[in-house]
Amino acid sequence: MSGRIFTGKDLVKDTEVSADVCVVGSGAGGAVLSEQLASKDLRVVMLEEGGYHTRSEFNMRESWAYPALYQEMGNRATDDQTVLILQGRSVGGGTTVNWCTSFRTPQRVLDKWASDFGVQGITTAALTPHWEALERRLHIREWPLEAMNRNNQVLWEGCGKLGFSRGLIRRNVHNCADLGKCGLGCPIDAKQSMLVTLIPDAVEHGLDVYANASARRLLVEGRRVRGVEAQILDASSDTPTGVTLTVRAKTVAVCGGAINSPALLLRSGLTGRGNVGKRLFLHPVVIMSAQMEQPVEAWNGAPQSAYSHHFIDRGPERMGYFLEVPPLYPMIAATVLPGFGAAHQSLMQRLPSTQVTIAITADGFVPGDVGGTVRLGDPKERRVHIDYPLRPWHWEAFRDACEVMARVQFAGGAREVISLHASPVRLRPGDDIARLLAAAPWEPGRVRVATAHQMGGCCMGKDAEHSVVDSSLRYHDLDNLFVVDGSVLPTSLGVNPQETIFGIARLRSADVAASVA
Amino acid sequence: MVPDAPRSPSRRSLLKRGLLGGALLAAGGAGFLALRTGKRVAPPAGGLHVFSESEYGVLDALAHRFIGSLPGWPTVEEVGVALAVDRIAEKTEPSVRAELKQLLGLFDNALAGFLFGGRTEPFTALPSAAQDRVLEEWRDSRIAVRRTGYNALRTLVLAGYFQSPLTWKPIGYPGPDDSFFQPDAPVWFGRSVPRPEGNGVYHPEDTR
Repeated sequence: MSGRIFTGKDLVKDTEVSADVCVVGSGAGGAVLSEQLASKDLRVVMLEEGGYHTRSEFNMRESWAYPALYQEMGNRATDDQTVLILQGRSVGGGTTVNWCTSFRTPQRVLDKWASDFGVQGITTAALTPHWEALERRLHIREWPLEAMNRNNQVLWEGCGKLGFSRGLIRRNVHNCADLGKCGLGCPIDAKQSMLVTLIPDAVEHGLDVYANASARRLLVEGRRVRGVEAQILDASSDTPTGVTLTVRAKTVAVCGGAINSPALLLRSGLTGRGNVGKRLFLHPVVIMSAQMEQPVEAWNGAPQSAYSHHFIDRGPERMGYFLEVPPLYPMIAATVLPGFGAAHQSLMQRLPSTQVTIAITADGFVPGDVGGTVRLGDPKERRVHIDYPLRPWHWEAFRDACEVMARVQFAGGAREVISLHASPVRLRPGDDIARLLAAAPWEPGRVRVATAHQMGGCCMGKDAEHSVVDSSLRYHDLDNLFVVDGSVLPTSLGVNPQETIFGIARLRSADVAASVA
Repeated sequence: MVPDAPRSPSRRSLLKRGLLGGALLAAGGAGFLALRTGKRVAPPAGGLHVFSESEYGVLDALAHRFIGSLPGWPTVEEVGVALAVDRIAEKTEPSVRAELKQLLGLFDNALAGFLFGGRTEPFTALPSAAQDRVLEEWRDSRIAVRRTGYNALRTLVLAGYFQSPLTWKPIGYPGPDDSFFQPDAPVWFGRSVPRPEGNGVYHPEDTR
């Protein structure tokens, strides 16, 4: 018996439905979990705050994609605007707009979770069969070197010349046409996002999806959650219609991601003994822009196919980082590249021959790094407070990474490299890169910092005094509430997170199913 | 050595916490400088949904400085930048709109200009070169909240300009290959209707 996909248009009056499991959120965690539960013949209802957008709308234009597919129209940021937060918001969540990069969880990260947080059973051995099943279903495989675009080649060749370790990225794509617009929604469904794979698979098994349904409150009685109350949003204006959807459920799984899951718990009065919203990790990214002699056209081709983990371990006192490249589209490039007036226009005129490298820093590992926090804002609004203070170890890693990136870009053939300071540092071949970068201002609001990976906020661990959920992802102080998404990660990962979230969700789906009985 | 960076105040209370100012501005609010108004520009034909006419004037002035006038680029007027920003702001939540309006007011407030930079003219009444210096002051300010203001306004104005496909040609961006976009592609809602064949449908024998 097939389920249905509803949107805000379908619900015109207050509605109550019942389910074995209500899953809040349709991204990497919620989709994998729903597919596993629905295939076990459980009745599952999924709520998604964003819209149901499909390839019939994926016109590869930023002006359409950011408002439709991203949190806060692509303008989500920390409260002080220092860190730009790119986070998905539509059916499929981040998987609808990410750049397809798929890594299994590094062993050293799983080891740290076990030793420092008492996490049990989330091991490489336990995850491997789930990863293998998902890699088959999502066609996850290495993108061939001969198909690598020029933007990635500069990173690949630069690392090769400098003797830095490098690797080819595995991607979840099938019949990919190399259009390079993954961040704007794939118009041919080649990206194996949750939108086109496990969510429809689950609907075939009876899953009901409600898009434009913003979960506002968990209905908690004593040690049990009884359901979820959601506000229906108008599918075109994204504002509340006044209609309420109430889902009565035997078990609830919150899967809204690292910012929205802790916010939902807090709105419901669930503070996790003060731990909800804490330990927010963002993989803060710094960026260097290089001018090449030849065209790069970083809007074409697989956005990410090369990486370097050479600097992921810089000792226990320093943040590690890894190198990748982003695709460039006009709007995002214009807002990220520095300056204004004619100087900014000149940078934009050179966009076709611009190569950009990013360093993604791994937070949550340096002693004392507790990350940022999510707090509630105006209860009438959906926006929440996001604080992520940048500490001395961030600035040290940012400066070091910018130096390394410039070296890689020059080794890859760059004739000029600029930092993304508000007043950029301009570097030429042969310059004393370290000295010039050391003289730049490393302070909030003076250099562009961004994140495309949000983790934490509902930390997993053994001790209820220091974590929110246990190793089965069950909320410590309730019997039937689970959190299944990137928010449970006790630290960041040092790799792109989607496959970690897929794997943990699939592994723990059995625990969620068991709680229904 | 990199010093421990100061915590920036929340954008939510830009005026209150950032400028000590709340009180200072309120005290001087009725004074001569605070009442000096800048240049007005005619509002757009479609009307404004978020900003007042004076806020629109500040946005328009900012757009003319943030966006250069090199040959080959569409003008601020051709793109309708300030109007585009009004329509972007319309989709944000009330608290964001309120902050943006505060920020624009502050930018053109002659008293704030005097306190920050010793100027007695509103931003919109300054010549271009002086306006650029004001932007640089905000950008390089030691007060974190002013840098936040610079970054927020710059991002907003650039987004309003570069959302326009008119900017693609001077960039050298060819735009997406529209032959891959199928607006008439079937949209599946379940309901026992068979799922259409496509790249997302799994065929275990297909190991490509």
